[in-house]
Amino acid sequence: MFRHDNAATPGLVLKNLTLAYDNATIVQGLDLSIPQGAFTVLLGRNGSGKSTVLKACVGLLRPKSGTVLLDDRPLSQFGVRERARRIALLPQGPVAPEGLSVLDLIRQGRYPHRPLLARWSPLDDEACDEALELTRMVDLRDRPLENLSGGQRQRAWIAMALAQQTDILLLDEPTTFLDLAHQAEVMDLITTLVDRGKKTVVAVLHDINQAARHANHIVMFKAGKLVSQGAPNDVMKRETIRNVFDIDPEIIHDQKTNAKFILV
Amino acid sequence: MRGVGRDRGLLLALLVLLGLAVVIAAQAVAMGTTPFSLAQVGEAIFAFDGSRDHLVITMLRLPRVLAGLLVGAALAAAGAVMQAATGNPLASPGLLGINAGAAFAVILAMALPTIGAATGGGLLGYAFIGAAITGFAVHVLGSLGTNGATPLKLVLAGAVISTFLTSLTTAVLIFDQATLDVVRLWTLGSLSGRTMNDVMAVAPFVGIGLVAVLLLRAQFTTLSLGAEISGGLGQSPLLWRTISVVLVVLLAGSAVALAGPVGFVGLVMPHVARLLVGADYRWILPYSVVGGALLVVVADMVGRSLFASQDFPVGVTLALIGAPFFLWLARYRLRGA
Amino acid sequence: MMPRYRAISLAALLVPALLLASLMLGDRHVDLAALIKGEATAEVRTIVMDLRLPRALMALLAGMALGIAGTIAQAVMRNPLAEPGILGINAGAAFAGSIVIVGFTGLSVTVLPWAGFVGATTMAAAVFLLSWRKGTSSARIVLIGIGLGAFASAGTSVMIAFADIADVQRLMIWLAGSIYDANWDKICLLLAWLIVPITLVCLFYRQIDLIRFGDDVAASLGQRVNLVRAGMILLCTAISGATVTVAGLIGFVGLIAPHLARRMVGPGHARLLPASALVGGLLLMAADLVGRTIIAPVQLPAGIVTALIGAPFLAYLLWGRRHVPA
Repeated sequence: MFRHDNAATPGLVLKNLTLAYDNATIVQGLDLSIPQGAFTVLLGRNGSGKSTVLKACVGLLRPKSGTVLLDDRPLSQFGVRERARRIALLPQGPVAPEGLSVLDLIRQGRYPHRPLLARWSPLDDEACDEALELTRMVDLRDRPLENLSGGQRQRAWIAMALAQQTDILLLDEPTTFLDLAHQAEVMDLITTLVDRGKKTVVAVLHDINQAARHANHIVMFKAGKLVSQGAPNDVMKRETIRNVFDIDPEIIHDQKTNAKFILV
Repeated sequence: MRGVGRDRGLLLALLVLLGLAVVIAAQAVAMGTTPFSLAQVGEAIFAFDGSRDHLVITMLRLPRVLAGLLVGAALAAAGAVMQAATGNPLASPGLLGINAGAAFAVILAMALPTIGAATGGGLLGYAFIGAAITGFAVHVLGSLGTNGATPLKLVLAGAVISTFLTSLTTAVLIFDQATLDVVRLWTLGSLSGRTMNDVMAVAPFVGIGLVAVLLLRAQFTTLSLGAEISGGLGQSPLLWRTISVVLVVLLAGSAVALAGPVGFVGLVMPHVARLLVGADYRWILPYSVVGGALLVVVADMVGRSLFASQDFPVGVTLALIGAPFFLWLARYRLRGA
Repeated sequence: MMPRYRAISLAALLVPALLLASLMLGDRHVDLAALIKGEATAEVRTIVMDLRLPRALMALLAGMALGIAGTIAQAVMRNPLAEPGILGINAGAAFAGSIVIVGFTGLSVTVLPWAGFVGATTMAAAVFLLSWRKGTSSARIVLIGIGLGAFASAGTSVMIAFADIADVQRLMIWLAGSIYDANWDKICLLLAWLIVPITLVCLFYRQIDLIRFGDDVAASLGQRVNLVRAGMILLCTAISGATVTVAGLIGFVGLIAPHLARRMVGPGHARLLPASALVGGLLLMAADLVGRTIIAPVQLPAGIVTALIGAPFLAYLLWGRRHVPA
C-alpha cells in the first residue's frame, strides 16, 4: 500500500517563495518540492497559507519573491495556456452559471488544449469521455448541475479539471461540505488517479485522519511557514500536531492499515 | 476586547458626524442672499418675533433645510434597507419602482384635465400615493410563487414595472410640452419652494420610518446574510422582506413626495457607509441616515451658492459632488478586489 | 430539448413576416403584390424602398447589435441585471447628445449621431481606466460605472432643467431612442461598423463561456481573464456605441433579449449569441412598427415601445418561473 516516490527530477518545486496580498504577507520563505506521481496533502489551520500556495502554483498569484519551478523552468516563463496544460487547479467552492449540464461543464476543461479558433476535435471528446468514466458521471452527463447532489457536483468539477489532462492536479478543499460517503468517494477517486493515472495530486484537506489514511506525503503549515513534511507516519507526531493545530491529540497506530490516527 | 473598542470608536465618530450635521444645517439656514448670523437663526427658531428677517428664516430657509435633512436621511436609510434585503449592491429605492411610480402619478395628475388643477402642494399627495402603489405592486409581482420575494425576483419585478411606467411617463412628456415645462425641475429632484406645511406633512412618516429602521437595525444585519442563514438563525426571511418593503415605501415614498425623484443618495450613501464602517448594518444604517442628511443639505448649499440660483435641482448637485467621492471610494477602498 | 428549438425556429420565421408587415403597414397601406408585379406607382415604390425597407432593416440590425451587446455585458459582469448601459455608455452618449441638441441647434442633425458615439466610447474608456488597478474586477467596474454614469447624468439633467423647452422636448425624444431617418447609407455604415466586432465576438464565444465561471476557475484553466474582459468590454462598447449613433438610446432590448434567448437555447454562447441577436432584432423591429402605426400619424419612439412591449413580456416570464428557486 505504502509508497513514497522520490523521482529524480521533481516536477513542481517552490523556492524561497514569499506570497502576499497587497501588504499582508501570507507565506514567507517557503521551500517545497512536490513528489511526482504521489498524493500530497497540505495541512494547517485556516489562514495558514495553504490555498495561497496552490494559487501561486498556477500563477493566479504572482510571488512577491522567490520562484515556482515546473520541470526546473520558472512558471513565469510558461504561457498561460501552456501552464494550464501542465497543472490544473480546482478552486474552493466554485460557482457555475445557471442552467449548465455536466457535460457543458466538463467541456470547459478542454479550454487550454484548443487553439483559439479551433473546432471541437475527437481528441477533446476522448478526454471528456475519459473524465466522465473516471468520475463515474457517464449516466449523469446531460443532467443540469443544479439537480445534482453535493457529491455529484463536486465530482463534476473534478471531471472538468481531469478533462484538462494535466499531470499535476491541485484541489482546494475538495471534500469540504460533503457527507462521509461522498468524502470517501472523492478520496478513492484521488487514489485511483495517482495509482493508475500516474498523476501528481496536491490537495488541501482539513481532516487529519483522512490525510494520514490516503496521502503519500503530508506538508504541515503554520502561519505561512512550513513546519513539517514527510510520509504520514513520520509526520503524525503528537508534538507536531500540537504545534500546528493547537490541540493535544492521542496518536493511535492502527496495525491493520499501518496508518496513524489522531484522537482529539 | 478589540470589538468593544471599535464599537466605541464608531459611536464616537457617529456622534461627531451628527454634531457636524447640526452645525452645517444651521449654517445652511444662515446662508443665502441675505446672510444671517447663527445667533439670528437661533433667535428666529426659539424666540420668534415676527420681524421680516425671522419670517425669511422660518418661512423660506428653515423648511428648505429641514426638507433636505428629511429627504437625505430617508433615502439613504431606504437604500441601505434595500441592499440588505436583496443582497444586491445595485439595489436602491428606485428599484422598487418608487421614483417611477411617483413621477407617473404626478405627471398623470398634471396632464389629465380633470385633475389638472393640482399644482404645488397637491403634487405631494399624488407622488406619495403613486410611489406606494408601485412599491407594493412590485413586491406582489416579486413575491409570486413558492418561496416569496427572493432578491432576484424582486429586482427583476422592480425593473419591469419601473421601465414600463417610465416609458409611459416619457410618452406623455414628449407630446405635452406644457407639462414637461412644469415638471422638469420636479423630475430632477428639487428642494426649492417647499413650505413648512409640506415638511410637516411628510415629517411624521419619515420619523416613524427612521425610528423603526434604527430600532430594527440588528435584524437587517441578519437579513443581509441571505435567506438561508437568516432563516437558519430563526429569522423569517419572508416576514422581514415584507417589513423591509413597507419601510422602504414609507421612507422613500415620503422623500419622493417632498423633493421629487432624487437619485444617487439611496444608491450611494449605503456604499459609502459600508466602505467606511464595514459590512455590519447595525453601523451602516445610522451612518447612512446621518450621512445622507448631511450630503443632501451640503449639496443644496453648494447648489445655491455656486450656481446662485434658488431653483438649481439638488439631485444634480448631489451627483456632481457625490460622484467623484464615490469614485474615489470604489477605486481605493473596495474590499476583496 | 425539442421545445427549445421550436421556439427559436418560430422566432426565425417571424423575421420575414415582420419585415413584410413593416413594408405594407403605415400611413398608406401598400399592396405588395402590385409592387412585385411592377404595377405600383413611383411614389409607392419610393415609400417602400427608400423609407420603410431601410427603416425596418435598420431596426433589425440595431436590435441584433443590442441583443449581442447585452449578452456580453451579462456574461462579463456575471450579473443578470447588467446591460450595456451599466458601463456608463448610455449616460455618456446622453450627455454628449444633450450638449449637441441644446448647445449647437444648427448642427445637430448631422453631428448628433457622432456625438453620441464619442460620448459612449469616452465614457466606457473612462470607466475601464478608472477601474484598472493591477487588473480589473467585475464588482469595481459596476461601481465605477454607477459613479461615472451618475456624474454624466447630472450634466444631462442640467440641460433638461435650464435649456429652452423646445430643445428639451427634442432631447427627450432622442433620449427615448427612435429609428428616425433611416436610409441606405446609414445601413451600410452601420453594417460596416458592426461586422468586425460581431465577427470577433462570435469567433471568441468560448472565451465568454469560460469567463462566466469566475476569475479563479477561468484563470486556472488558462484564460487571460483581464485581457478577455477588457477585449469583451471594448467589443461591447463598439457594438452598442454604433447603435447609439443610428437609433439613439434604446434601453431594455440589451437587458431582456439575452434573458428571452437563454430560455430558448440554454446558456451556451455558441447558440445564445445568435439567438439573442434574433430576439433583439425582432423586438426592435416590432417596436418600431407598432410605434409608427399605433397612433399614426404621430410616431412613438421605438425605445418607448420596446419597454411597453418588453416589460409585460418579462413579467410573464417571471410568472412562468415563479416556482423556480432563484
